[in-house]
Parts: sequence; structure tokens; C-alpha cells
Amino acid sequence: MTSKSCDCAEAGRFIAEYSAWLWSCGATCVRIDKNARRIAAAYGYNAHITVMPRHVSVMLGNESSEGQRLFAWPVEPCGINFTMNAALSSLSWKISDDKISLDEATTLFHSITSCNYDSHIKTILLTSLANASFCRLFGGDATAMLVVFIATLVGFTTRICLLAHKMDIRIVFYLCALVSSVICSSAELSDWGTTPHIALASSVLYLIPGVPYINAANDLIDRHYLCAMSRFTDACVLTAALSCGLCTGIFTMGIKFI
Amino acid sequence: MVEDILEDSFFAAMAAIGFASISKVPPRTYILCGSAAAVGHGLRYALMSADFTGIGIIGASAIAAFVIGMIAVLFASLVKVPAEACLFPALLPMIPGMYAYRAIEAIIGCLSEVNEDGFNHSLYLLSYNGMYCCAIVLGMAIGANIPIFLMKRISFQATR
Repeated sequence: MTSKSCDCAEAGRFIAEYSAWLWSCGATCVRIDKNARRIAAAYGYNAHITVMPRHVSVMLGNESSEGQRLFAWPVEPCGINFTMNAALSSLSWKISDDKISLDEATTLFHSITSCNYDSHIKTILLTSLANASFCRLFGGDATAMLVVFIATLVGFTTRICLLAHKMDIRIVFYLCALVSSVICSSAELSDWGTTPHIALASSVLYLIPGVPYINAANDLIDRHYLCAMSRFTDACVLTAALSCGLCTGIFTMGIKFI
Repeated sequence: MVEDILEDSFFAAMAAIGFASISKVPPRTYILCGSAAAVGHGLRYALMSADFTGIGIIGASAIAAFVIGMIAVLFASLVKVPAEACLFPALLPMIPGMYAYRAIEAIIGCLSEVNEDGFNHSLYLLSYNGMYCCAIVLGMAIGANIPIFLMKRISFQATR
């Protein structure tokens, strides 16, 4: 049994937009494919999904229609957001299990995508604690942990402020890495603690785009090679940007290695 | 030895919860993320310890990632989130940041060296750390994804 029947064009647009949001909040291709097919099946259609780096295409048809129709939706970057990912996945099950109409589904969908998920102060504090813990895992002492905590606090706050001003994410990563590395370099130059080099090494780790790297490997295993390459390249560009920021900080402060 | 493992697990859990907040994981998932990271990181520490098995960081990371993946897949349905939501933040403390950092340090070394021996040494450090970094990430990704693909039905019904 399927949900209340709906127009192919409306269903196609909804599924394409749904898939684009799921991709942009950091879902893996296998999840996008499964969720979109589940929704299509609930409305009596079969769907073939093509996930591309800048847009998602949905080919929609059913047994009774002669042909299939293609719908595409652009991907708007919204950053990794697992709360949205979970809510959108849950919506696909609600459509499939509770047989809700497309209008109801669209209303729920827009309430999920328009919700404000930001909790800046909590995120800044938890991220700073996380990076200080990272420093400890790499063998840093209490002073190094404190320096990393402060460097992350300032760097992450800078990141939030710059992203709020719609600055390019690569420049943001460069500047945040520069700010954090300069703070840790100052501690190294001042001879604070016994492991200042570990503090410097840990100072930019909060910027490493770990989720895109793991997502890329996941897509690779599921043979979504284009998406895997796209995510991997994006993550590499961000890593290169933060590395440049770190190098600039180290050079500027005159830290000597090797 | 046990104290070291517990300390390692505690700080890994702290790191995982912080990374969970960056990835906007639902707060009800924080405990699961922290627990998975503590078990995984503690296991990796024990596996790498000479007192236990003494295996290399690549193999230990892959095994630990597999265990984290199993925990994420089996328990994600309790908090109604996709398995990835607790898997990824729990894996992040195992990302080989020091190897990546040393690779960058070696690039700086290459660029600032004027004599051939010094340049070759920096190039060696770059290759060594870069290769280790890639191999650890790949091992972790494969280890963590095996449970998701082995138990697809459970993995993709967690939010139902």
C-alpha cells in the first residue's frame, strides 16, 4: 500500500530537494539513495538517484507511466549537521510507515531545514575541551592543554564570526589556523611548560575535516566514486588551507624545527 | 598499564564529545559517542602496548575502528540517530593528527633547507609521515564501515 497518490512533478521536486539537503548536511550516498527510494516507493514511484558534487538528480517513474521524468536540485552547503541528518532520515520512515501526504511531508521537511541548530557557546566550550584532550592524548602536559584550550577557544570563535559574515570557508580555515598557531607559538617562545611543540601540533586539529574524509571512504566502498573524489578533494583543499595557516603562523613567529 | 588505558579512554571520550558538538550531533547521542570513543581508543592503546599484543598503529586503528563501528550500529537505534552520527565523532580522536602535523613540518623543512642532505632528510620525513597518515585513515575507514555494510538492515533502520 502506498501513501496518498500525488503528482509526479511535485513528488520529484520534493525528493530532489530532500536528497540535496541530505547530501549537504553530510549524509553518505548510500543513505541518500535508500531514503529517497523509500520516499518514492511510498508515493507509488520508483526512483533512480544520481548524486553529483553540485546537484542531485532524481529520475522518477512508475509501472503505469510510459516514461520517466528527471528532476535536479542544487546543493547548498549548510555544513555537517547530524541532527538534521537524523531528522530527515526519520522523516523518510514517517512517510513510508505512516503514509502521510506530500503536503504534510513538505511542511515537516521545511520545519526541519529551517530550524536553527546552532548553540555557539556550548560548541565553543566543548570543542576547546576536545582539543585540549587531544593535546593530552598526544602526550602534552597540563600547560600545553591550557594553551591549546585558549588557542581553540579564540580560533573557533573566529571561525563562527567569519562564517557568519559569509566569508569563503577556505579563507576562514586559513585565518583560524593562523590565529590558533600564533597563540601556541607565543607559548612556545615563552617556554611555557615542557611540551610546547605538542601544543602547537594540536592547536589546529579542531579544524581537520574528519567527517568528509570518512564519508569519502564510505562512498568509495559503496562505489560512489565521483562523490568520494569530490568529498575527498573538498577535505584536502580545507586541510591545505589550514596547513598554510599553520605554516604562516610558524614562519611569522620564527619557530625553528628539525 | 590499566591506569594509562583508563586515562587514554577518558580523554578520547572528551575529544569525541567535543567533535560531536562540532558536527551538530543530537545531544542525546553524546554519551554513546563518548563511550564508543573510550572503548575504541582504549582498545587501540592496549593493542599497541608491548605488554599486550604490540601490533602496529595501522592494524590497531583498524581493529579499534571496527569495534567502534559495531557499537555505533548496535546502539544507534536506542537514541534514534543514524549510526554515522555516533560513529564519526567517536572515530575522530583516532585521526593521526601528529603524523599529519609532522608531514607539514617536513614540507616546511624541505622549503627551508639549502643543502641536499637536509632536503633529502625532510623529504624522507614527509614520505614516512604522509604514508603512515594515509594508511591509518584508510584502515580506520575500512574497519569502521564494515559493520555498517554487514548489518545494513540495522544500520538504516535506526531512525525508524
